[in-house]
Amino acid sequence: MYEILEKREIAANNVLYKIHAPHIARKVQPGQFVVVRAFENGERIPLTPVMWDAEEGWITLVTFIRGRTTLRMNMELQEGDKILNIAGPLGNPAPMKKFGKILAIGMITGIVEVYPIAKAWQEIGNEVITLHIVPEPMIILKEDLEKAVSKHIVESFPLKEGMGMPEIFKELVTRGQAKVRELIEKEKPDLVFMVGPARGQKAIFDVVKEYGIPMEVDLHPIMVDGTGMCGACRVTVGGEVKFACVDGPSFNAYEVNWEELIARSEFYADLEKEALEDYLTKLQQGGAQ
Amino acid sequence: MMTLIKERVPTPERPVEERLKGFMEVNLGYTFELAVKEAERCLQCSPAPCTQGCPVHIDVPGFIRKLRENRDNPEKAVKEALEVIWACNTLPAITGRVCPQEDQCEAVCVMGKVGEPINIGKLERFVADYAREKGIDEKLLQEITPKIEKKKEKVAVIGAGPAGLTCAAELAKEGYQVTIFEALHKPGGVLVYGIPEFRLPKETIEKELEKLKKLGVEIKTDYVVGRTVTFDELLEEYDAVFIGTGAGTPKLLNIPGINLNGIYSANEFLTRVNLMKAYAFPEYETPIKVGKKVIVIGAGNTAMDAARTARRLGAEVTIAYRRGEEDVTARVEEVAHAKEEGVKFEFFLNPVEFIGDENGRVKAVKFMKMKPLEERDARGKRKIVPTGETVVLEADTVIIAIGKTTSKLLRMTLPQIEADEHGVIKVNENMMTNIPGVFAGGDAIRGEATVILAMGDGRKAAKGIKQYLEEKRKSS
Ligand SMILES: Cc1cc2nc3c(=O)[nH]c(=O)nc-3n(C[C@H](O)[C@H](O)[C@H](O)COP(=O)(O)OP(=O)(O)OC[C@H]3O[C@@H](n4cnc5c(N)ncnc54)[C@H](O)[C@@H]3O)c2cc1C
Ligand SMILES: Cc1cc2nc3c(=O)[nH]c(=O)nc-3n(C[C@H](O)[C@H](O)[C@H](O)COP(=O)(O)OP(=O)(O)OC[C@H]3O[C@@H](n4cnc5c(N)ncnc54)[C@H](O)[C@@H]3O)c2cc1C
Ligand code: SF4
Ligand code: SF4
Ligand code: FES
Repeated sequence: MYEILEKREIAANNVLYKIHAPHIARKVQPGQFVVVRAFENGERIPLTPVMWDAEEGWITLVTFIRGRTTLRMNMELQEGDKILNIAGPLGNPAPMKKFGKILAIGMITGIVEVYPIAKAWQEIGNEVITLHIVPEPMIILKEDLEKAVSKHIVESFPLKEGMGMPEIFKELVTRGQAKVRELIEKEKPDLVFMVGPARGQKAIFDVVKEYGIPMEVDLHPIMVDGTGMCGACRVTVGGEVKFACVDGPSFNAYEVNWEELIARSEFYADLEKEALEDYLTKLQQGGAQ
Repeated sequence: MMTLIKERVPTPERPVEERLKGFMEVNLGYTFELAVKEAERCLQCSPAPCTQGCPVHIDVPGFIRKLRENRDNPEKAVKEALEVIWACNTLPAITGRVCPQEDQCEAVCVMGKVGEPINIGKLERFVADYAREKGIDEKLLQEITPKIEKKKEKVAVIGAGPAGLTCAAELAKEGYQVTIFEALHKPGGVLVYGIPEFRLPKETIEKELEKLKKLGVEIKTDYVVGRTVTFDELLEEYDAVFIGTGAGTPKLLNIPGINLNGIYSANEFLTRVNLMKAYAFPEYETPIKVGKKVIVIGAGNTAMDAARTARRLGAEVTIAYRRGEEDVTARVEEVAHAKEEGVKFEFFLNPVEFIGDENGRVKAVKFMKMKPLEERDARGKRKIVPTGETVVLEADTVIIAIGKTTSKLLRMTLPQIEADEHGVIKVNENMMTNIPGVFAGGDAIRGEATVILAMGDGRKAAKGIKQYLEEKRKSS
C-alpha cells in the first residue's frame, strides 16, 4: 500500500498525487511509467512519475480527469489515504543521448511525461525547447519547465462557455500544428518528441513529416498488466507487432500505424462511458463508498 | 459371487443451465461416503504404476488406503491421507482439480486395463477440500511449524506461480527466510489470472497462500524483477534465487489483421475476466467486449478456458483447430465440459487472415482448410497440409490461444542467463542455471507445461538450493 503524502488540484482537471513509494523512487528513470490499481474493484491504469526523490522515497503522479478511474481517484483518495497497488517502474527509459536541438511537445496532460525526459536531455547537454499545447485553465508545470530547459513555450487558449471536447480538441490541433510549423522553421530542431492523445500526436506528426525531421512519440495504447503478459498494448510499428509496455513506450513516429493505434485506444469508449455514468449515478445517490 | 466394479463412482456436477449463468465451480467433488466407495475399487498395486505416472510420485495407493482403513473416522482418514500426499505435493486442492490425470497417474492405473481407472484426481481433491473444511490441514501445519529450525540464509523467489509457491513452501519448511517477488497485484500466477473460477475457485488458492504466510514466507506484490529491483540487487541481498517467472508472453499469429479490435490473446481475455473480474462490469471497473460470435483459435486447456468463459458471457462460441479431434491437447474433462456447454468445434482449419470492418473491428476470420497425412511428427501428431480451399467464418471476437513463450522482460533484463533461442532457461540436474546460486523451474525452463510439473520443479529446486546453501556454509 502506498500512502498519499500530498494531493492538490494543480490546474483545472489536473490532480497531483505525491505518493510514498521508496522502491519506485529509487529506480525510476525518465520515460518510464507505473501501473496503478487504486481500488479493490478497480482497473489497472498506467500513469507516469513526473518528479521523484530517491532519498525521501516519494514520486508524484498527475492525472487528467478523463473517466471513471481518474475521477474516482479524485473523489475518494485524500491525503493520508493509501493506494492499493503501484507496479513499476515499467517500460524502457528514454535514451539519454545527445541529439542536438530537441523540440519536446506535450498536449494537455501529456506534458507531465515530457517534463522528466526534457529535463534530463537538457542536463546532458542537449538544447531543449518544450512546447505545451493546452487550454489556459489546464496549464501546468510552467515554472518547472522554464527552469529545466532552454526555452519553454505555452500555446494556450481560453475556454469559452459551452465548448465541448470536440471543439477543444480541434482548437488544440489547429493551434498546435501552426505553432509547431513556426517553431520548426525558426528553430530547426534535430529531433521532435511528443506525448499526448494519439489523435493529437498524429496531427502534429503530419506537420513534422513534411519537414522530414526525426520524431519520437511515447504511445498510450490501452494496457492491463504492463509487463508484457497480455498483449493489450500491442501496436504495429515498422510493420511488426510490438508490445508498448515492454518494447516502448517510445517509438519512431514514422513507423507507427496511427489508424490502428487510434482505433485500438478507442475500442472501449462506449463501456468507459457506461462505467462513468454508473459511477456518477452512485455519486448522485450518495451511494459511492 | 463378488463382481469387479469397473465403473467409477461418479462425482456430482452442476447442471449445464446453472453453469452458464455464472462462474461457479462445475464439478462438485466427492463426499466422504462416495470417496470411500471409489477408494474401495483400488487394487493396491505394488509396485504401483500410478505413483510412477505422477510427476511428483505421490504414494497413491498409500493415501487411498488411509481413506478406506479409517472409514469409520473421516477426520482420521483424511488427516492420514493428507500426510501421505503432502510428502510430495503441498497443493493437492489445486492438482486434484487441474492435473491432466488421464495422461499421468490415471493413464497407467491397472484398473484402466479392464474398466475405468481409479478417479485419483477427484480423491486427491476430496482429501484436500475436506481437510480444509474441517481445519485438518491447519492442525497438521501447526504440528510441523514449531519444529522448523530457523536458518539465517535468505532466498528470493521470482514469480508467485505454482513453481515459485512450491519452492518457497519447501524452503520455508527447511527454515530458510524466503521472499517472493511477484509482478502482479495478486500472487498465484496462471492459477489466478488464467484458469477460471469454474475450474479452480479463487478461494482454493487464497487458502494455500495463507498457509504459505503461516510458514513465514513474505510475498511482495507489484515487484517486477528487472525493473523494480534488478537481478544483481537480488543476488547481492539473497544467498540464492529461484526463477519461476513462467511463460508469460502470449504467442500471436503473424497474419494480416492481428491487431484489429476484438482480437484478444487468451491471456488478455482471461486476465480481464479472472483477475480483474470484468464479468461483473461496471461494478468491477475493467471492461471486456464479447460479441455474439466468438472464435477461439487453438485446442489446449487455455482454449477451452477461453471458450467456456465466453459462453458464460453470453456468446456463441466456436473453437477452430488446425488439426483433428484426436490431437486436441486439452484435458479430456475440459473438452467434455466445453461440449456440454454448447461450444462448437471446427477441425482442420488454419487461420490465414482476419477481416475487419470500417472501424477496425474484426468481423470474420479466413481459414485455410487443412487435411491430415498418415505421417506423424516428433510429438506423435499427424502432419497436416493445406488443401488450397479457404473458408470464411464470421466473428466479432477472436481469442488466440496458440500458446505462450517465456517472459520477454526477463530476457531483456537478464541477458547473462543461459537460455535457448526461445528464451527457455537451461538448468542442470539440481535445477541450477549457469549462474551459481540461481535456480529455475516451471514454465520458465519448459516453455509451456503443467501445474504439477511446475510444482515438481519448485520442489526439486528447493532441494538443490538447500544443498547449495549447505555446501556454501561448510566452505565459508
Ligand atoms: C504509458 C502510459 C502513461 C500514461 N501516463 C499518464 C499520466 O501521467 N497522466 C494521465 O492522466 N494519464 C496517463 N496515461 C493515460 C491514462 O492511463 C488514462 O488516462 C486512464 O487510464 C484513464 O482512465 P479512466 O478510467 O479515468 O478513463 P476511461 O474513461 O476509462 O478512459 C478514457 C481513455 O483513457 C484511455 N485508457 C483507458 N483505460 C486505459 C488503460 N487501462 N490503459 C491505457 N489507457 C487507458 C483510453 O484511451 C480511453 O479512451 C498514460 C497512459 C499510458 C499508456
Ligand atoms: C488458461 C490456462 C489454463 C491452463 N490449464 C492447465 C490445467 O488445467 N492443468 C495444468 O496442469 N496446467 C494448466 N495450464 C498450464 C499451467 O498453468 C502452467 O504450466 C503453470 O502455471 C506454470 O507455473 P509457473 O509457476 O512456472 O508459472 P506461472 O503460473 O506462469 O507464474 C509465473 C508468475 O511469475 C510472475 N512473473 C513473471 N515475470 C516476473 C518478473 N520479472 N518479476 C516478478 N514476477 C514475475 C508472473 O506474474 C506470474 O505470476 C494452463 C495454463 C493456462 C494459461
Ligand atoms: S498430483 Fe496430479 S498426477 Fe500426481 S497423483 Fe495427483 S492428480 Fe495424479
Ligand atoms: S494403479 Fe490404480 S488400482 Fe493400482 S494402486 Fe494405483 S490407483 Fe490403485
Ligand atoms: S499491457 Fe499487457 S502486454 Fe503490455
